[in-house]
Amino acid sequence: MFRKLYLLYGALVLSTAAFGQYRGWSLDTVNQVKNVPKSVRDNPGSYRSVYGFYHHYTGGK
Amino acid sequence: MSTGAPPLSGPPKPQARALNCPKCGAAITLRSFGQAVTVVCSSCRCILDAKDPNLAILQQFEIKTSDVKPLIPLGTRGKLRGTDYEVTGFQRRSVMVDGITYYWHEYVLFNPYKGIRYLSEYNGHWNDISICKTLPSADGGGATYLGEAYKHFQSADANTDFVLGEFPWQVRVGEKAGVTDYVHPPRVLSSEKLEKEVTWSIGEYMYGREIWDSFKLPGDPPEAMGVYENQPSPVATNVTGMWVAFAAFAVFLLLLMGVFDMRAKKEPVLQQTYRFDRAEVKGEPSFVSDEFALTGRTSTVEVKTFAPVSNHWIYLNYALINQDTGQAWDFGREVSYYYGHDSDGSWTEGKQNDTVVIPSVPAGHYYLRIEPEADPSLPSIPYTVEIIRDVPVFGIYGIAFLALLVPVVIICFRAYTFERSRWSESDHPPVQLSSGSGDDE
Amino acid sequence: MSQPVANCPNCGAKIVFRWSSSVQTVCDFCKSILVRTDVDLKKVGQVADLPPDSSPIQINTEGKYGNKAFVVVGRILYEYDQSGWNEWHVMMNDGSSAWLSDAQSEYALSLSSKAPNLPAAAQVHVGQQFTWNNQTYTASVITPAHYRGVEGELPFQYWDKADVTFVDLRTESRKFATLDYSDPEPALYLGEFVEFDDLKLKNLRSFEGW
Repeated sequence: MFRKLYLLYGALVLSTAAFGQYRGWSLDTVNQVKNVPKSVRDNPGSYRSVYGFYHHYTGGK
Repeated sequence: MSTGAPPLSGPPKPQARALNCPKCGAAITLRSFGQAVTVVCSSCRCILDAKDPNLAILQQFEIKTSDVKPLIPLGTRGKLRGTDYEVTGFQRRSVMVDGITYYWHEYVLFNPYKGIRYLSEYNGHWNDISICKTLPSADGGGATYLGEAYKHFQSADANTDFVLGEFPWQVRVGEKAGVTDYVHPPRVLSSEKLEKEVTWSIGEYMYGREIWDSFKLPGDPPEAMGVYENQPSPVATNVTGMWVAFAAFAVFLLLLMGVFDMRAKKEPVLQQTYRFDRAEVKGEPSFVSDEFALTGRTSTVEVKTFAPVSNHWIYLNYALINQDTGQAWDFGREVSYYYGHDSDGSWTEGKQNDTVVIPSVPAGHYYLRIEPEADPSLPSIPYTVEIIRDVPVFGIYGIAFLALLVPVVIICFRAYTFERSRWSESDHPPVQLSSGSGDDE
Repeated sequence: MSQPVANCPNCGAKIVFRWSSSVQTVCDFCKSILVRTDVDLKKVGQVADLPPDSSPIQINTEGKYGNKAFVVVGRILYEYDQSGWNEWHVMMNDGSSAWLSDAQSEYALSLSSKAPNLPAAAQVHVGQQFTWNNQTYTASVITPAHYRGVEGELPFQYWDKADVTFVDLRTESRKFATLDYSDPEPALYLGEFVEFDDLKLKNLRSFEGW
């Protein structure tokens, strides 16, 4: 009984992996923004990033 | 056809015999039609000779524990293996192992055509038992019966503590028999040695619920505690099967990996070196790259950043913007690299490059908006940005692999702990896993 | 198969032999033990009342062994210290005779067999092994039994025996053997254990409440 469930589950996992590869899924987090005006091309400063400014200092030891 | 036969009244139809106890006069009914050898008077606790018309007294016993009541009352009928049986006898037996006394109960079941079977019950675990017709062969560690190999589980002396009803043998309270159990779940092969005679019986595990349904008993069966010697494992049946399935899946995963890796375009779309110069970037640090086209089906876009940082960091605020649809992917990446020397030797932290994969980007015309930032102590630095269209993402395979592995490991572990639990009650308990004495760390 | 008919020399009742080779029978009316001679029936003894017993089989019970049908025509009752058992004499549909033993609802069917050098009763001990028909048998139980009664038709003369020794021999399969020391010459029976259901018995005794 467990084996049948597992076979089904495994087939599901593999098909999800294949589908993901095909559709271009990735593991990185990226924010999507919609409706960026064409004017940004000429005036890049008008675009405000989703992130705040990065003031983070990652120092070494 | 034998018309000449005299009108026969035939042998009288066997009936349950009603008699009186010779000691106390209580009514006794013999239900097993002549197959009982001994019968117990429950009123005065006498074991009587069932074959003697006068019911000679064989033994009188006292019960040491109070109120031993059979879970299936004597006289109840139930269906086992398609045949109706009536409970005609009951006994409580015990063994002493390592100073602890364990009790279990046995029921005698009777059918006038099929004969006698037994049910045993211990801590909510039941067994359907019958006497072996063919001889098993035993040798120390195991036994073989009807082509199946059984492992030795336990040998002990079983004491008869209490009896009720009718028995097809000379039962006595206080008598001790040498009992050895061999298991091959769900079956158990038992040998019982009383004086010189050895009797073999074969039992098959039953669940309390099956017994309750069979005998139509009210309420619920007692809960089964722990794992019984021949209790079938709910998981072990397919551990090998699952590992085989897992191996097959893993191979398939590798194939998938290979195929997608080959088919990925990995097309370089942009490679540009820019310079971050704090002095020049007074007003607006952000700028846009050249336009480029992303082709093919909706797929991944890899953005690589290289910068020769040395104990500094730079941070790029990226936006991949589709010129036509206005859709953008916004992400920030840091490139930092530090190194030094301390009492343990030389160390490094970080890398001089960074990679990110943007998911599901449709084909179209795009440009990259870049807003750089740098470590205040860094006046200027060049950096290279590379964009590659349609790369495979190996992390997905990693997740899939784990997803496939985890259930098999869990099942394997549960089967393992179940078997450990089973054998912990035997004469051959599993070795303790915690490191014993004498292990050097 | 013709069924010879005769009259009981003791009480005159009609006696029918279901089995043409029967040597002995018991008159159902007066319980005389009758033996067939070439000429007629001779009374040789009397059967005492049989003890109440629990066998579901009775004379005229029908059944199947393998693909042969049989009918029960007679029996011998034995007792020993624990209890007793029945040896039912059955007539197979090909006219041969066999024995269906019923001991506490454990059933077995066996046939009389010839073998050379059968041991005397005193020579047999538990654990001893014999080989007959390429099968090894191990002596498992030696039972001093006593004859308790007869009923119906038997293939030999058998009554008023004193104590009789039986040796049960078992194998690791359903096959078993019996050495019967009723007569000075040891008799061998080879057979196998059978399941009640496989015998497909009909015309069994009915039990009160079952």
